[in-house]
Amino acid sequence: MKITIENKDAMSVIRLADTSVILAQRLAEMCSNGLTLEEDIALSNISLDLFGRADELYKIAARIEGNKFTPDEYVFHRNEREYYNIKLVEQPNHDFAWVIARQLLHDIYAKELFTQLSTSSNHEVAGLSQKVLKEIKYSYMHSHDWTNRLGLGTAESNERMQRALDHLMKYVDELFNFDELDKKFIPDPEKLKAVWFSEVDKILGESNLKRNAVAPPSMRDFREGFHSEHMGHLLSIMQFLPRAYPDAKW
Amino acid sequence: MVTQKEFGHLWELLSEIPDPEIPVINLVELGVIRHIEEKPDQDKIIVTITPTYTGCPAKKLFQDLILEKLASKGYHNVEIISQLFPVWSTDWLTDETKEKLLKEGISPPTIGDKIVQCPKCKSTDTKMVSAFGSTPCQSLYTCNICSEPFNYFKCY
Repeated sequence: MKITIENKDAMSVIRLADTSVILAQRLAEMCSNGLTLEEDIALSNISLDLFGRADELYKIAARIEGNKFTPDEYVFHRNEREYYNIKLVEQPNHDFAWVIARQLLHDIYAKELFTQLSTSSNHEVAGLSQKVLKEIKYSYMHSHDWTNRLGLGTAESNERMQRALDHLMKYVDELFNFDELDKKFIPDPEKLKAVWFSEVDKILGESNLKRNAVAPPSMRDFREGFHSEHMGHLLSIMQFLPRAYPDAKW
Repeated sequence: MVTQKEFGHLWELLSEIPDPEIPVINLVELGVIRHIEEKPDQDKIIVTITPTYTGCPAKKLFQDLILEKLASKGYHNVEIISQLFPVWSTDWLTDETKEKLLKEGISPPTIGDKIVQCPKCKSTDTKMVSAFGSTPCQSLYTCNICSEPFNYFKCY
């Protein structure tokens, strides 16, 4: 099956959907691996929100495309190079600090992005954005709180959180390399960038953490379907069942 | 909760469907069912619903339960439309519905999650244990007065 995405608005929506589903999958890997029962439930709940968000976004994209494909087909039948998520969210759950740092950097991005999209001229995108902002509020509360705790906790927790941030920051540059599609779809891209940096700096500052200058990896942009080495492994697990057993039903 | 005078018999029928996770309230009270339209000339019913939480595992189940309920009364030609506008909110829950939740041991949503009441001793001296609970719509709380652990229905 060859999945095609013709319409430019559909492509912009697919980028959001891909970022949601890949982060959802990463967080789902934490289910039953949380450090406490409450934390396990929290991460699984945030994962569920992201899967739900992705599902609604794929449906919107599918409608723009004339319902040629279903959300499941977009998710399970595209290869690595046909995915358009930001590389930040495909980074692995190396340790709990990575999970939290990745979530914080994503939540701040998602919060401003969906705030802007809640006034989108596409009514479905606007309606969904208003809805997901309520969910992002809870996720952000969680990642913000843990960033404070890890940053201000012990020397060990601070060091590990800093290490996670230093790794993940490498994947931030591409977020703001806006292309023509972004400039058409996102109401104010430059504000998205400005808000992201000021909010990240504020939270890291209050947590005794730093935004160190890091060299971005020599990789091409997620908008062209380029990924880090982790993406293929993630997909191989996520897509195995529907590809091995194409008619499998829940 | 929506009030629509037309097709009262269908609204009544769909009021018999309990929420799969919180059976004490039904899908009409929850505000999931937005609009019902009967087209006798086409022998067809159109039901418009809106999702509560995007990741709610009951989302698909809602549709199945509606189809099942209508089929049980002989309505087989049913179309379900899912719409995102207006955005579902816990503000739509009536005081009566909130009272039902409290009786069931679930603290009902309050604006900005500010005042959370213990369903057992009714004290508002309570604390959040975890923002995330047993379902996507609930948080875990505990009462500082009677130590009761309970679920709080998040304000959305």
